[in-house]
Amino acid sequence: MNPVKTRFAASLLAALAMAVVFPLLAVGQPQEFRPPVGPAPRTPSGKVDFSGVWQKAYVPDMTKDGRNQQGFPDLPFTAWGEAEWKKYDAADGDYTGACLPFGMTRSVNTPEPMQIMQSDKYFTFLFEQNSWFAVVPIDGRPHGKGIPTWFGDSVGHWEGDTLVIDTVNFNGKTRLDTVGHPHSDQLHLIQRFSRPDLGHIAYEVIVDDPKTFTKPWKNTRTFTLRPDWEMMEYSCEENNKSLWEGRIKAPTYR
Amino acid sequence: MEAPGSNMKPTHFLIGAALAVAAAQSVSAHHSFAAEFDANKPVSLKGTVTKLEWLNPHIWVYLDVMMGDQGGLQPWQCEGGAPNVLTRNGWSRDSLKPGDQITIDGVQAKDGSKTCNARLVTLPDGRSVFAGSSGGDAPPPPNR
Repeated sequence: MNPVKTRFAASLLAALAMAVVFPLLAVGQPQEFRPPVGPAPRTPSGKVDFSGVWQKAYVPDMTKDGRNQQGFPDLPFTAWGEAEWKKYDAADGDYTGACLPFGMTRSVNTPEPMQIMQSDKYFTFLFEQNSWFAVVPIDGRPHGKGIPTWFGDSVGHWEGDTLVIDTVNFNGKTRLDTVGHPHSDQLHLIQRFSRPDLGHIAYEVIVDDPKTFTKPWKNTRTFTLRPDWEMMEYSCEENNKSLWEGRIKAPTYR
Repeated sequence: MEAPGSNMKPTHFLIGAALAVAAAQSVSAHHSFAAEFDANKPVSLKGTVTKLEWLNPHIWVYLDVMMGDQGGLQPWQCEGGAPNVLTRNGWSRDSLKPGDQITIDGVQAKDGSKTCNARLVTLPDGRSVFAGSSGGDAPPPPNR
């Protein structure tokens, strides 16, 4: 064996020895979870059934790409929207730090999972983040005419096998994401759910807010079915030391 | 009291194995990192665990830290991720115990109190594990 080959063989042996002696060093790359395989399930009435516990993409900044997330890099701000974005400083008041409702986009953005429960009449988001929920009628009724709310008023309809959830009537007190991209009370949110197979949801969220943006823009994400996960309680108020000890300021709404 | 580099505890082994998954999935979104912490104030705190609060919305690790320049032994408190997310990443309420010698790398609170946002915890066996953090506007964990 020539010297080059000898050195190569020695290196290979050393590498194999390292792998045997220090197996945890090989943990550098996480094992990718493999969801169950099969066709998208359907309800008894033949609609695509989105029920299950889902691992979402974690999206603290909706302009950025991430794991299972395609962001929108250059937001088309109006002058009002640009000014709202530039003046935002979470240190002046952080509504999520104060455990106030996250609103629809920030609830879907969180790293905590969500469970979907669905019937012919309703599609229900059960968010683990702060144990919030949102109930969406999908039986063809129009939007309600109630007072504006943190999560808005949602109704859903089917476009083929895609469920389209349309939300309006937001109170305008929330932010779109953790870094604080703004929206107004004119926000019209469109969420499109389809299920290409048993293990995945293809998700789109379209932000349509003429006061804040000159045109609609969207994020595209993939959610993964986690039959190995159970939803867990999340009481935001339980030990919110940061607020109690004054390091986070609660915003006021008067 | 256990000295750094002593025998590895099973719980430490478990969370060490979960490190890569934790780093990939990360954190909590309860609040904005920038609301409370100053990314320009990095801290590396070597000390003894006195208490672990395994509660929502974030775990808190309390430790006594020997500060240089005759600062003496000073109590610090450091915020980690949400218990739910950390549980799915292999942590448990028994992962850190009073008396454990650890090093926490993170950043200090804006108000200058002895409060930190923990990004990385170095365990008695020398293994570094991701501790979660607040929102995604936090800086990435240091490379160690």
